[in-house]
Amino acid sequence: MSAIVLIEDTPQSARLAARLLRLAGHEVIVAQDGEMGLAAVMDGPPPDLVLVDLGLPDLDGQTVVALLRQQRGLDTVPIIAFTAWPQDTAHKMALAYGCDGVITKPIDTRTFASQVEVHIKRQRVQP
Amino acid sequence: MITAHSHRLPAPFEQVPGSDLEQFAGQTAVPASRYGFDELADLYNQTRVDYIVPMPMNARRLQEYVHTYDIILDLSVVALNAEGEVTGLGMLGLRDDRAWISRLGVLPEKRGRRTGLFIMEHLLHQARLNGARSALLEVVKGNVPAHTLFRKLGFRETRELLIIRRPPGTAPLIPPPEVCRVVEMDEAGIAACLAIRPPGPSWLEETRSLYRAGSLKGLWVTLTSGDSGWIVYQQTPFQLTHIVCGTSSPVREPVATALLCQLHRLNPHQDAKVENMPADSPYLPAFVNVGYLETFRRIEMSVQLG
Repeated sequence: MSAIVLIEDTPQSARLAARLLRLAGHEVIVAQDGEMGLAAVMDGPPPDLVLVDLGLPDLDGQTVVALLRQQRGLDTVPIIAFTAWPQDTAHKMALAYGCDGVITKPIDTRTFASQVEVHIKRQRVQP
Repeated sequence: MITAHSHRLPAPFEQVPGSDLEQFAGQTAVPASRYGFDELADLYNQTRVDYIVPMPMNARRLQEYVHTYDIILDLSVVALNAEGEVTGLGMLGLRDDRAWISRLGVLPEKRGRRTGLFIMEHLLHQARLNGARSALLEVVKGNVPAHTLFRKLGFRETRELLIIRRPPGTAPLIPPPEVCRVVEMDEAGIAACLAIRPPGPSWLEETRSLYRAGSLKGLWVTLTSGDSGWIVYQQTPFQLTHIVCGTSSPVREPVATALLCQLHRLNPHQDAKVENMPADSPYLPAFVNVGYLETFRRIEMSVQLG
């Protein structure tokens, strides 16, 4: 079981993603905006993975990632962009801001949990 | 979410006999001012759930947006169908004799019933009634349905605008030009620089937008070559934005690069975003030099109002 923080403002998308991850055995904390997401990640032990929507209201996903990447102790935590942006834009911006990968919306319910788990495992084998 | 059931229906705009709006029987336009910012933000977000680049807003951001860009909610529109259900919205800003249309959106399940056209006709009507002689808007490049609608209404393309961002800690692509003096400007210095800006910024970056955004800071930088320039920007707790600059030299790139290098040297941990920079701006190469990346493009369009 891994601890995952999901930062997603769209209720339907947050519900579906959280449900799929919980069914796969993970503990999921859902934050509805960037500020709540920062608090969820920083006010406790580092999670095993952060999944962040790039298109958040107010403090947007890119700024959230930039702020998380500057926090000590979070540099080895995988951050995955979760977005409906066109793939080329999403990849360019997510990687520039320090994300480790991109999962594009809409969610593929058959593969979503395993897409996320790939990033957790990849990070864990790194020294 | 605003629904007919959760809300007592607000009074609509007065019908104007003989206007283009008479063709939209069954559709009603209500001033957006009859709704709260929470409701408007919710509606706006719902209209954009399947947008090319979703850019959701919360109530606070929408309130700032309305203030900064001179949007008049009394003239902006929430559209209702014959059943009294909310179907979409559009917002109208006014500056002197110019109108700006923004935040246009129709709920996905209510599309295909000319609601977008109805909202646009209403906004243009309100613009004319309130003395506007031209109207301006931007559409995300690739949003073919909206672009087609605007052309049908007489709008024509004026230029492409870029949304560019720079993650904190990005290394410049070229060595920073040598600088001999950096001065932080006070309010009067910032005002003097903004007063000599050449015309041509987009609505979002017009000098009036900068003042209304507030929290402006400025630097004056002199290079060892003797050339100098200024940079003015809005600093929020997490982001640098509304970044505009000017140079004494007609060769702008080295000075602008130096200005941006200084800005980011002084604020190394801040994310930066510039919205609607003209694609042909002479300052764009300097932004690229210091690591700004294009996120997406908008097409600016305008129409003369008879």
